[in-house]
Amino acid sequence: MNGRDGASMMPVDASMPILVVDDYKTMIRIIRNLLKQLGFEHVDDAADGTEALAKMRQKKYSLVISDWNMEPMTGYELLKEVRSDTQLSKTAFIMVTAESKTENVVAAKKAGVDNYIVKPFNAQTLKSKIDAVFAD
Amino acid sequence: MSKTKARSNRPGVRASERRGAAAAFSSVASLAEVTADSLEAVLAKIDGEVFRELNLIADHIETLRKEIVALQPSRMHRESIPAAGLELDAIVSATESASNIILGCAEQVMAANASDPKRYKAFVDEQMLAVFEACSFQDLTGQRIGKVVDTLKQIEARVARFAKAARAEDAGKLQRAARLSTNTQEAIDRIIDGRKRG
Repeated sequence: MNGRDGASMMPVDASMPILVVDDYKTMIRIIRNLLKQLGFEHVDDAADGTEALAKMRQKKYSLVISDWNMEPMTGYELLKEVRSDTQLSKTAFIMVTAESKTENVVAAKKAGVDNYIVKPFNAQTLKSKIDAVFAD
Repeated sequence: MSKTKARSNRPGVRASERRGAAAAFSSVASLAEVTADSLEAVLAKIDGEVFRELNLIADHIETLRKEIVALQPSRMHRESIPAAGLELDAIVSATESASNIILGCAEQVMAANASDPKRYKAFVDEQMLAVFEACSFQDLTGQRIGKVVDTLKQIEARVARFAKAARAEDAGKLQRAARLSTNTQEAIDRIIDGRKRG
């Protein structure tokens, strides 16, 4: 667990809009259910980076939770697009992926990811990473 | 007729000159004969070496041809690899189906009315039974993965044998033995937190 997690953190706004990006419908369903259990009710989803970017330009999201491997636009490319767009660059971004190689994590970190969760994960991990992102 | 002989037969050329020209022609002819003999030996030697090299190349090609046949490329292309692909597709499908069943059960249990404990218990039991049944995918996917691994091992063995026969070596330095390059969540946290602390 992240060392910055704990009771001293500011409570996360459960009403914030969240965008879940994954090309695997089952994974979207899992994350949606986990977020629901954590109290987050305003959750949208997208099947890849391109769709996510379009949705982000129509609606302001406080948090993006994105997979890495998607076609045609990967989660990593989405992250770079978001960080280079002045309107979207402040959006919190958590990568949730099976890509756990160091080079992937380092690349995401350089691109400005706020946190990184490796699959498979549980509700506690998801909660602790969301808390950590909004505690910064 | 050579120029020397032609000139020596001309009227007015003295006899001594004619004898000298004949002797020179004889020497040149002898020299040419010796040179031809020497060249013949050299050429015979070169021919032998070329012949041996060509034989070696032909043997090597024949060995490679046999090894390619042993590789069974058509079978790999038409059967083994497509079959492995189908197994993997089936695994994806089976795991997705099982996940959806389990998720559906969980969602129904969480949404169920628990005001009547007896009915709620019966409903939960029914849903849990469906979860157990869905988990049987693990056995099927295990078997399918085993088949894919077998196919990969066969291909690996055949390619290794072919590489040995072809005396092929890896370009550059030998790669390290394959290993899973993965990080735990804790290791990833250290990488991510390193930036924030720095």
